[in-house]
Amino acid sequence: MARPIHFDNVRKEFQAAGTVHVAVDDLTLTIPEGSFTTLVGPSGCGKTTTLRMIAGLETPTSGRLAFGDEDVTEQTPQERNCAMVFQSIALYPHMTVRENIGYGLKVQGVPKDERNRRIDDAGETLQITEQLEKMPAELSGGQQQRVALGSAFVQDPDVLLLDEPMSDLDAKLKAELRVEVQRLHQELDATVVYVTHDQTEAMTMSDQVILLNEGRLEQFAPPGELFDDPVSAYVAEFIGTPSTNLLPATVERREDALVLASDGFDVPAPESEFADRVGDAVTVGIRPQYLSPNGGTVEVVVTAEVVEQLGTEFVVHGYTPSGHAIDAVSTTFGSVQSGDELRVGFDPADAFVFDADGQTICHGDELTGETVSRAD
Amino acid sequence: MSTTTALKSTLDRFDERRLLLLVAFVPFVAFFTLVWAIPIAYALGMSLFANPTGTATFVGLQNYIEILTAPDFSLFLWNSVLYAVSTTVASLLVGLALALVVNQQIRGGNVLRTMMIFPYLLPTLVVIFIWQFLFDPNLGVINQWLLEYGIVEKPIAFFSTIEWAMPAVAITSVWKFGSFAFFILLARLQAIDPNLYERARVEGASTWQAFRDITVPHLRGAILIILLVRGIWMFNKFDIIFLATRGGPLDATTTLPIRVYELAFNEVNFGGATALAGIMFFLLAGVAVVYFKVFEPEKEVAN
Amino acid sequence: MAIGEGAAGSIVPQSVQKRVKRISLIVVALLVAVFVTVPVYVMVAIALQSPTAVFAGGDVNLLIKEFTLRNFRVLFDDTNTVRYFTNSLIVTASSTLLSTSLAVAAGYGLTRFEFTGKTIAARAVLFAYMFSPIVLAIPLYVIFFSLDLLNSYFALTMALTAISAPFTIWLMWQYFQTVPISLEESAWVRGASRTRTLWDVVLPVARPGYISAAIFSFAVAWNDFTMARVVMSQDEMYTITVGASLFLDRVSIGWGETMAVSLLICIPPFIIAVFLQNYLLQGFNVGGLE
Repeated sequence: MARPIHFDNVRKEFQAAGTVHVAVDDLTLTIPEGSFTTLVGPSGCGKTTTLRMIAGLETPTSGRLAFGDEDVTEQTPQERNCAMVFQSIALYPHMTVRENIGYGLKVQGVPKDERNRRIDDAGETLQITEQLEKMPAELSGGQQQRVALGSAFVQDPDVLLLDEPMSDLDAKLKAELRVEVQRLHQELDATVVYVTHDQTEAMTMSDQVILLNEGRLEQFAPPGELFDDPVSAYVAEFIGTPSTNLLPATVERREDALVLASDGFDVPAPESEFADRVGDAVTVGIRPQYLSPNGGTVEVVVTAEVVEQLGTEFVVHGYTPSGHAIDAVSTTFGSVQSGDELRVGFDPADAFVFDADGQTICHGDELTGETVSRAD
Repeated sequence: MSTTTALKSTLDRFDERRLLLLVAFVPFVAFFTLVWAIPIAYALGMSLFANPTGTATFVGLQNYIEILTAPDFSLFLWNSVLYAVSTTVASLLVGLALALVVNQQIRGGNVLRTMMIFPYLLPTLVVIFIWQFLFDPNLGVINQWLLEYGIVEKPIAFFSTIEWAMPAVAITSVWKFGSFAFFILLARLQAIDPNLYERARVEGASTWQAFRDITVPHLRGAILIILLVRGIWMFNKFDIIFLATRGGPLDATTTLPIRVYELAFNEVNFGGATALAGIMFFLLAGVAVVYFKVFEPEKEVAN
Repeated sequence: MAIGEGAAGSIVPQSVQKRVKRISLIVVALLVAVFVTVPVYVMVAIALQSPTAVFAGGDVNLLIKEFTLRNFRVLFDDTNTVRYFTNSLIVTASSTLLSTSLAVAAGYGLTRFEFTGKTIAARAVLFAYMFSPIVLAIPLYVIFFSLDLLNSYFALTMALTAISAPFTIWLMWQYFQTVPISLEESAWVRGASRTRTLWDVVLPVARPGYISAAIFSFAVAWNDFTMARVVMSQDEMYTITVGASLFLDRVSIGWGETMAVSLLICIPPFIIAVFLQNYLLQGFNVGGLE
């Protein structure tokens, strides 16, 4: 039965050669029951550690962890009704696929007939019925991962954890297995927590995304919100391919209006947000997808350097007049050559503005209005 | 992926882990203490006494001085070094040549590889018996051939002749222990990416140049390890020399380990025996320090 | 076999050069084969023939004309060979068991648990491996003597294990590095206790490692002369190595019987070689040590 996962000031420290490394820094959040939540971020941000704490493979240094009403902070992994799929797949090499899948059930004392029934069931669900009697070494990477999923499925867990299960697979397999994982989520009545460094996976598969930054929660929101309402430059840059362009600007007063003066272009700024920030350095963020020849009112000059074609779209990698890297994506860049000078534009409603610490001041419609509230 | 989990953790939770910890470490520590640490400490202690197993009188470093200044000490040391160096270098050369051959994958290469295990498997005693027979002056094949082809006029009692005893022991040792170098070098050779040779060929290198520039650098580490580790191993060898010649004739093959045995059991001079053992211990420690500094072998298991 | 395929220095443009090389390689291989196998053959030939057949006016060991077990009969009737052999089997089996168990337990613990001083522990194990057995034997002798443990299976087993344990522990320590902890974690998450996981998962996966360790400790114990010579002084406690080494001193024991006992001594190692060849070679590949 799916249960919500509560993190209450959870902190995890590791001792390494005399220094203390804080892997997870006072994390407080609740993962809703039955949801598909992704923990995402670059290497070392603490996502795997967080996952392992849910599983019980790591114990928090301080703070409490609960599944619904049950405080599980002190519980061993054996006691929790979790299932976990490991990055290294971790199939027992000396057991057949059937024995691998059924191992958890065997440990729990499920009688053989029922075990086999459930194994056959899992085999069918994951389309590995023909592999059931084989040894792991005989299977391909994709099949092995299905066995791992099957082993988790057969436990009927409250919480299903996946630790970068796709990282060793090629793109095609990834796409297939993504579908499998989502199907499993629908069939199982479980809360799914999925760890990945691939933000594409995070964006396409989840109900919610938890983006971590060096152990701290940066943003916890549905994928769309991370894309359109980032709370910081970190989020804006991590989410989306190619990354959001970040261009330095200064708040200036020109005659009667405030502008964010950047590299050859000015963005009109609302009084409400920027009146007391005159002279401050800020960063303007604009996604490459929103830069196009007919993009909008703010015009930017880009000198193209490399042009990539991806399907029907073209990605121009270039420089602003003062040498800042900038990318632009559009279907109309087909004839752009290296060295060409382009004029592209964007609509201020699509831009983000970040302060000197990287935190979002305002963006989108709020470039005329209130501050964005952070996701909880 | 990590292979360790933190030991420092909440008390309640990990009773089973603590139990396992005990099971893993207590026998290990107990065993090492009982059978290694205590005897070594005891031996070093004994070396400071005259007649430590009888009326023990403390004499400080007197035993060491006596051993080191004894007239034959330099002979024993020389024998040890000669034996260690000759057997190790010979094993290395033979092993290298063979490994190169087997690596060529000619027909029968696998059979050759299997055959090379035989000498290692044969107990040392058996090896001694066989070679004593082969070298025997009256019945041995080797003397028969030497006589037949006119190389010598009289048969040579190899193990009993002062000039020949050490070479004979060395040959016997290489026969038995040479396969180590072979297997290690073979493994390293087989690990060399064949693409390297193909690329060299494309870039115009000759066989010799390829050997010099690709093969040799890859083997350098293995060769050094073999020289150092096998060198020490042969330096420490007791049983094969003892069984062959008991250190004779007239100390011609008496190495330091043999001398230790003699001091302890023939002369019942445990003070002297442990002092010499102490000297060997410190020699070994010195080499070990070099070995650890240069190769850092412990990195394979502990970072 | 293709040119340049996994071969050291075999970039050969001309076919003539190739053939010369091929021939010289075969010659070298043959020479080595002869060098390695002839002594073994000699042993077998002499063991299985009567001394008169072998030594009649010269040496006729090349052709075995008639098999006879005469030498073995002399061994069994006139010497304590059976007793020696039994002693060897007992201490070897005990020592192998002890050494392997220690190695598995210690190897697992050393790998999985984090503690300061791992480097020192590793160096200590390696240092012990580089030790000369005779150096350890002297104090062990004195200690066993004062504890009245000389001439006991226990003492010899401990001494033999002392010699083989450093390497077996090192072997298993290295081996467990290759067993990912995620295998164990996977079992824990599914409800298996740590102990159960050890039994169901860790030990089966570690099997190649501990079989190599067992083979090695067997070889050390079976082969041993030094420790047995020092610990045992009573004839009926001698191992086969020590007992047989005294044969040549006895007038009534000739080459026939000596080779026969040699053959007997070879049997257990050869059984192992035949059935466990792969594990043997794996032991050779571990680390730069043997």
